[in-house]
Amino acid sequence: MHMADALVSPAVAGVAGAAAAVLIGVASHKVKSIKREDIVPLMGVMGAFIFAAQMINFSIPGTGSSGHIIGGILLASLMGPWAAFITLSSVLIIQCLIFADGGLMALGCNIINMAAMSCLVAYPLIYRPIAGISTSKWRLSLAAVTACVFGLELGALAVTAETELSGVTALPTSSFLALMTSIHLAIGLCEGIATALVICFVVSYKKDMLFSQQKNVSVPVSSGKLSKKTKTVLWSFAAVALVLAIGFTWIASENPDGLEWSIAKITGATELGVASIPSTAFIPDYDSTFAGIVGGVIVMVMLWCICALLFRRKKKIA
Amino acid sequence: MGQLEKTYQQIVRLDNSRKCTYSSPAILIVTLLYLICVLSVPIYQPHKLIWLAAYPIVASEMEGIGYGRIFLRSLWILPLVLFIGIFNPFIETEIAFRIGNVAISRGWLSFTSILFRGLLSFQAVLILVGKTGFIDIFNSLRKIGCPAVLTTQLLLTYRYISVIIDQAMIMKRAREARGYGRKSYPLKMWGQFIGQLLVLSMQRATWIHRAMDARGFDGTLPIGNAVKWTKSSRLWLIVWCVIIICLRFIDFSTLIKHLLL
Repeated sequence: MHMADALVSPAVAGVAGAAAAVLIGVASHKVKSIKREDIVPLMGVMGAFIFAAQMINFSIPGTGSSGHIIGGILLASLMGPWAAFITLSSVLIIQCLIFADGGLMALGCNIINMAAMSCLVAYPLIYRPIAGISTSKWRLSLAAVTACVFGLELGALAVTAETELSGVTALPTSSFLALMTSIHLAIGLCEGIATALVICFVVSYKKDMLFSQQKNVSVPVSSGKLSKKTKTVLWSFAAVALVLAIGFTWIASENPDGLEWSIAKITGATELGVASIPSTAFIPDYDSTFAGIVGGVIVMVMLWCICALLFRRKKKIA
Repeated sequence: MGQLEKTYQQIVRLDNSRKCTYSSPAILIVTLLYLICVLSVPIYQPHKLIWLAAYPIVASEMEGIGYGRIFLRSLWILPLVLFIGIFNPFIETEIAFRIGNVAISRGWLSFTSILFRGLLSFQAVLILVGKTGFIDIFNSLRKIGCPAVLTTQLLLTYRYISVIIDQAMIMKRAREARGYGRKSYPLKMWGQFIGQLLVLSMQRATWIHRAMDARGFDGTLPIGNAVKWTKSSRLWLIVWCVIIICLRFIDFSTLIKHLLL
């Protein structure tokens, strides 16, 4: 879900960057008030853990493909939402600055889409009400899967909004949203199952590693039965997921070729080619655009040759 | 899991090879200005983006990285850019201009623009990544008022990435030795593997905390010397800012047209 710089306009990148900076400021303040002495080294090492864990793939049965963990909900379930947000943000910053993974201008967008949506929205709204202070593996698994799907779908929604607001893609918002949410529904399920497996391992090894089991932590929902409000949220979410799944299954069976379907739906034509483009005369912009591209490429190749000759020769002499 | 070893080697190589000719904040400011200029070019004017390629070409050659290497590495971004831009030619079929009998639609112009934006912005970030010391960036972040919690967190994560990856590699080798040639990780086994790595990471965090406590840790890590702004860094910053702004706002395509016609 890492967004590249090419997908955002300076205005959208600026607003998202400012929002991410404010959230980091608030999170830093909140982390200072956590009554846990080892929180600083724990956050550092857990950031490194998430970095390493993202490189170990699991095989997805029956598909031949593989997936990896993103880690927002896992971190939040171990350290709480604010510490998890700072940790995941730092992983995103390092990925951007060391591995050029995700754009520098789009860094704010990536922090909002991946860290904020999972740690600050999906964790308190979905995971915490379902899991409560329970250590039941089934309940924790249900909470993890639901929260991961919800967090990723929100992230996909945010990516769509940011790309559309930037005016980069010509895809209508509804089509782009449908494409993104359907892809991330599947990814979210895999991420949720993977997160649930790791949380179950942690519970069977040492229960007090979970944030909800630590002292000085107040979890608003009791460990008993799910409240009416939680049930309503869960059922509504399940209904939306079901509608999406049925909708896209039907579409897939009717139109095996996704691209063809998308194009037909958007443009109203099943096939596209030169014939569909109306013929008009030369327009005035032709010269500068075409000459600009060709001339620009020639000049840049020449510039590269000159630079290579100049600086490499200089180094050899030195 | 070859990616694990590859990343470990990459971090070690980067730590050993980075030599910063100019101060990191100067490179960071130029990169940010360059990205703003690239991303602010209107989507139907890809010809204006070509001229902005001068920065990655000249800067990479000046710094001894080589534009060929930067260009090849930047191709990695293409699948993502293609995914976003490929629909444009099918949706925006209005003709922009013709080359002989071939009609070029506005969709193709916006697609070319997205392609250039992706490549150029990624190339600029690659130059920043290749020439900037990470510790210098921490210093700069601290200096501009970034919360100490975040900078300490960044520094700790950066320092422990190689340690945790090393731990994961030891576990991987142990698993491979018992795996009889099986390479993939079924989901259940993956859960146990990551769970064990998590428990080991948390144990390591406890040891680190005790060691830090014993040495009088007060919540923030001291970060080396302040960033030095050399004369050459200032000159480099001013020259590139002027060049980039000129490349963005002067229409060289029209100039070429007037020269040729």
